Amino acid sequence: MKGKKRIGMLLLAGLVSAGLLSGCGGQTDSGKSESGGSSGELVLYTWEGMFPQEVLDGFEEETGIELIYSNFDTDETMLEKLAQAEGKDYDLVIADDYIIESVVEEGLAQKLDKSKIENFDNINPLYQGQFYDEEDAYTVPYGAGIPLIVYDPEAVDFEIKGYKDLWDESLKDSIALTANYRVINGITLLSMEKSMNEEDVAVIEEAGEKLKALAPNVRMIQDDNTQNALLNGEASVAFLYTSQVTQVLSENPDLKIVYPEEGLGFGIMAGFIPSQAPNSDAAHEFLDYILQPETGAKCFDFTGYYSTNQAADELLENPDLAVPESVTEGEIIQNVSVEADAAYNKNWTEFKAACD
Amino acid sequence: MKKKKNLWSFAVLPLYLFTLVFVVGPLVYMAAISFATNKEGYGVLWRFTTENYRKILDPVYLETFQQSLKLAFSSTLSIMLLGYPFGYFMAKLSDRRKKRMMLLLVIPFWVNSLIRLYGWIIILQTKGALNGFLLKLGLIEKPLKMLYSYPAVLLGMIYTLLPFMILSVYSSAEKMDWSLVEAAMDLGATPAQAFFSVTLKMTLPGLLSGMILTFIPSMGLFFIADILGGNKIVLVGSLIQDQMSRGSNWPFAAALAVILTFLTTLIIYLYRKITHVSELEGLY
Repeated sequence: MKGKKRIGMLLLAGLVSAGLLSGCGGQTDSGKSESGGSSGELVLYTWEGMFPQEVLDGFEEETGIELIYSNFDTDETMLEKLAQAEGKDYDLVIADDYIIESVVEEGLAQKLDKSKIENFDNINPLYQGQFYDEEDAYTVPYGAGIPLIVYDPEAVDFEIKGYKDLWDESLKDSIALTANYRVINGITLLSMEKSMNEEDVAVIEEAGEKLKALAPNVRMIQDDNTQNALLNGEASVAFLYTSQVTQVLSENPDLKIVYPEEGLGFGIMAGFIPSQAPNSDAAHEFLDYILQPETGAKCFDFTGYYSTNQAADELLENPDLAVPESVTEGEIIQNVSVEADAAYNKNWTEFKAACD
Repeated sequence: MKKKKNLWSFAVLPLYLFTLVFVVGPLVYMAAISFATNKEGYGVLWRFTTENYRKILDPVYLETFQQSLKLAFSSTLSIMLLGYPFGYFMAKLSDRRKKRMMLLLVIPFWVNSLIRLYGWIIILQTKGALNGFLLKLGLIEKPLKMLYSYPAVLLGMIYTLLPFMILSVYSSAEKMDWSLVEAAMDLGATPAQAFFSVTLKMTLPGLLSGMILTFIPSMGLFFIADILGGNKIVLVGSLIQDQMSRGSNWPFAAALAVILTFLTTLIIYLYRKITHVSELEGLY
């Protein structure tokens, strides 16, 4: 909590100084911005702490555009505000995959002019053509979260290759799991070669039975600091969120990451331009700027999310943030029908009760 | 006469308003939501249904009630066995010692209970303090897996709630007129008889309010099961939380909460009926 506050203060200080800097820049570089074509303000709307200050400053310096960083806490707040503003007020929004689907459906996003985004081809195709933007007409992905298996090779007798290995009998009472019911149901379905978004209740129930068979191997289920279980010896295998994977590996580099062979489940964050953005030119420029390999690498190293920018992969200081080329498939968890969701919920409760 | 009464009711009006807005209001809202329909994705659809209650009858969800009651009863019983003698003997200490003891009991409350529970993790974990100690003494050869188990959750419950029992038994025992015990013994009662016919009866209000103060929270303290039980023991509390946040099925969560509230009220009523105590120490 305290740390978060401090980051907030730093960010605020950064914003103030950035404002001052750009103020100066604006005065001296007025000639330059004329020749550059676009200028003015860019209102960026996203979560707090999504960009290193260096990148934000760099953009202002390069383009002479004044950047205003406005933030939201949850995707839902963003959608509400954007709907109230009828797609005006904000020039660029970065948010989660599922909410972008609603944004596009409600006509609150505009199609990108790709001729203005020279670096568009740098995007890793693994993250393109997803459900929220099948034609890649509206969005530029900015980082992905991928829950992965991490294990201690000294405490596990065999090589873990995929989700199905979690059911191995030798792993009795030694797995730590994150607590998202859809994700855990999802990996069970993947291990059965089904979709993470299965709608057929009979199949979901089948997955529930399979999930219950995993119970004896589960040491604990927790969303926060799940990675500690690996570090303090409570568990020898863990299924972790991206930030947890990054953290646990920085503390114990001997641990092994598994990119499950059945395929990945991931979440993508992406940028889009609201339908009535006051300065869509500046938004295009910003998207192009963060798609530059050097800038992209700096951003992913800063946020700790997986690189969605192929050209940036080699430049990352933390090479673990680039998904290996062998990984070609991934699926995103989407909203399902009420019936299917109820079945997932029931599986989850049954599973947890069976773990006792 | 009538005017005076009106003036009085005016003075307590803020309190009534507060109760109305922050206690009755939310309860009514909760009961209303429990009959609404769950909307796909997120939110509530105001269409009447009893589906949420029917769903609770599903064995999976019934079992969580059973699990919660089991944990609540076993922790209340253990707390009673530990806390009653503690409070009783504490009341017999000298005034200075009483004050010191009180301070020692209250100090842990200065630290947030979550943080204190994380302290237990450090003690109980596989590479933790207790295992280290036992290994050094040579009592065990391999570290024990103590964390994330039923006993660990029970321990957490007892640890968190014990002071409530001690303090209410203490305040009851402290007020007691000890000459009554002496009188009983003078009239030929054995110490055991005197205890059961006089002391226990006189301290019953304290014991009972201690039981209520421990029983109600132990029905709802799901974070102890989450932290020390590794989320493997599903209590009604954690189920409600799950349905509120991740599962985002508010109507079902509300129905569960209504049943839980009803159940706790019923149990308190039964407690009082059985023990014939009309007055609860410090609670009523």
